[in-house]
Amino acid sequence: MEKKEFYSMIEEIIEAESETLNGHELLEELDNWDSLAIVNYIAVVDENFSVTLAAKKILNCKTVDDLLANLNASLDS
Amino acid sequence: MASTKIKGARISGIASAVPQKVRTLDDDAKIFDKNEVMKISKSTGVKNRHIAFDNMCTSDLCFAASEKLLADIDWVRDSIDGLIFVTQTPDYILPATSCTMHSRLNLSKKCVAFDVNLGCSGYIYGLWLAAQMISSGSLNRVLLMAGDTSSKRISKLDRATYLLFGDAGTVTAIEKSTNSDSFNFVLGTDGTGWNNLIVPAGGFRIPRNESTSMPIERESKNIRSEEDLFMDGAEIFTFTLLEVAPMIKNLLLDSEWSIDMVDFFVMHQANKFIIEHLSKKMKIPLTKVPTSLENYGNTSSASIPITMTNNLSDKLSQDKLHIVLAGFGVGYSWGAAAITCGPVVMPDIVIVPQDLNSN
Repeated sequence: MEKKEFYSMIEEIIEAESETLNGHELLEELDNWDSLAIVNYIAVVDENFSVTLAAKKILNCKTVDDLLANLNASLDS
Repeated sequence: MASTKIKGARISGIASAVPQKVRTLDDDAKIFDKNEVMKISKSTGVKNRHIAFDNMCTSDLCFAASEKLLADIDWVRDSIDGLIFVTQTPDYILPATSCTMHSRLNLSKKCVAFDVNLGCSGYIYGLWLAAQMISSGSLNRVLLMAGDTSSKRISKLDRATYLLFGDAGTVTAIEKSTNSDSFNFVLGTDGTGWNNLIVPAGGFRIPRNESTSMPIERESKNIRSEEDLFMDGAEIFTFTLLEVAPMIKNLLLDSEWSIDMVDFFVMHQANKFIIEHLSKKMKIPLTKVPTSLENYGNTSSASIPITMTNNLSDKLSQDKLHIVLAGFGVGYSWGAAAITCGPVVMPDIVIVPQDLNSN
């Protein structure tokens, strides 16, 4: 997935204004990136790509860009 | 497991009971931030839960449901030769709650009685056990009881669990049948998920002590002790995505049922988000997926029967329905059943007040 598309997807999940994410944001400091958001994120990825992300790998991601890298790795495999 | 077809058994009645005490979102907002409470409720779908009184056990709820059902169903007590009690909140470490229940219901000495320690999948496992024992000729009439008082294992300061679980006890009467309808089951386990839905201390692996009872701040500011229920929402969600949709798909294939043929899909009331996502994923119209969690929360093994009592009473008491039941969660353990059910005896939900004679 491309960066812009991905940031847009995350912005929608955390109810942030569009085009506010740059990828370097630390997830633990991101507003509304809580356990509900993580579940939402897993669901959105499942809906769009029919891929089930591993919860542990998501928790190991530190930044938004890490999340994207994890997603793309899962899509490639 | 490949699916199992079992003939010769039928459900004859279902009754559900809940404690009279209700916990509402307003009550929750006294403990947690109101906006947070509303946000979580929007996702889980839970508004109210019934909560057991201090001296009320799962068995008391199942007892109330049983007395109601037995009054309505025309079964002589002596004719009951099986009692299966599905719970993770038993009366005692021992004896089995099915035995204390046997005494309270005044059943015959010929009755087989035992407990099953399962939660979310427990009702399906219980149905499977009862159906097999009847089909094989071992038993004729089984009371399957299922329920939990999960509220007693939950930390008041843990959003993930306190706002979700409710208490309930149910009973299902299953008996020998000469009609041609069958139960079709698919069951499975993945024990590697054992620590994602767990009460860590209080058993024999980690006995209770001073430190296990200490509340500790955990993720997202939730506070709980080792003796409180822990649930990892994200892990459990991925588990349901990986296992539940394929389970139901395989069950339908093996039963030769299309989604169109199924009248209702009664799922374990884990939370509304999971149920809706699964339904969408499997292309099941939400009109076929009744929910009772708005008013009862997640009631563990009681959630499937309580949904049948709450949502399908009218239809089940008059018509013959094609129903798919699906239970999944703690263990990880899962099971689904494709059954033709009805007409059956369906009393209204029993509300159990505080004053109660118990063992």
